[in-house]
Amino acid sequence: MLANLWAWLEALPIAEQIGATWWFPLLESFHVLSSTFIVGSILMVDLRLLNLAGTKYPVTRIIRDVIPWTYAASAVSVITGVGMFITRASRYAEIPAFQIKMTLLVLAAINMGVFHLVSARGISNWDTASSTTSAARFAGACSLLLWVGIMLSGRWVGHVL
Amino acid sequence: MPGGPPIVQTVHLLGISVVMGSAVLINLRVLGLALRSQSTEDLIRRLAPWTWTALPLLALSGLVFIVAQPYRYFDNPIFRLKFALMVPAIATTIAFHRRPDARGRLSVVLAVLSLALWIGVVLAGRWIAYVDYLMPVE
Repeated sequence: MLANLWAWLEALPIAEQIGATWWFPLLESFHVLSSTFIVGSILMVDLRLLNLAGTKYPVTRIIRDVIPWTYAASAVSVITGVGMFITRASRYAEIPAFQIKMTLLVLAAINMGVFHLVSARGISNWDTASSTTSAARFAGACSLLLWVGIMLSGRWVGHVL
Repeated sequence: MPGGPPIVQTVHLLGISVVMGSAVLINLRVLGLALRSQSTEDLIRRLAPWTWTALPLLALSGLVFIVAQPYRYFDNPIFRLKFALMVPAIATTIAFHRRPDARGRLSVVLAVLSLALWIGVVLAGRWIAYVDYLMPVE
């Protein structure tokens, strides 16, 4: 079932166009650019949650300032990533490094969701404190590790393709 | 060593991420596009040192690539372009760090230039591997 979808994607004219021309490196270079921006901006939030940087600033303010840019960069990353994926969809889907990367991305999204819905409840009590709650520190540490793993597995994909 | 190249590249990418979160965000702040609730001066003082921490890490991880395959780099025009963009990119960030209180048209022009240079460095870095697309071997 999924195999049919991958085959259909690979047969799209745009997939062939990307795979056969300089479009692929172009997409890849913008994927790298947007991904490093995502990690750089998330790092600011993570380090604040871990009380390692920006402790003078309220947590919510750093999040509000930075996250719109993270989402914008994510849009670029997803579009360029899908563009590369469709060139050899069935091959990508079977590579363990790619599967790990997608799993880690889902875990990073869950980590963010849990933080915003659960751990950030009552954030007003520690928003400006230089020491965050243990749940917040846990979320920051998980995020940091997950994003390093996402970068590593993403880079790995390029070597085993 | 299997896994060596992607690990060293990931270290390099994490270094670039730190530059994105400092030098590039400083430019966006000077242009009034990001982090507007924080003062530009404070932000530059707080973020610029992160770039100075990341650069040695980037140099070290970058050196590993060069030592492993020197001919891939020294004969590569995109590699030279990357360094030609990097020197002024670093200079613009030094300028902001030295004069965090600077305002006016010059600092806006400098921020646009700095943003373009840093983005150019990252894109050129990736294109080192794809030089053949731009300059097909005769």
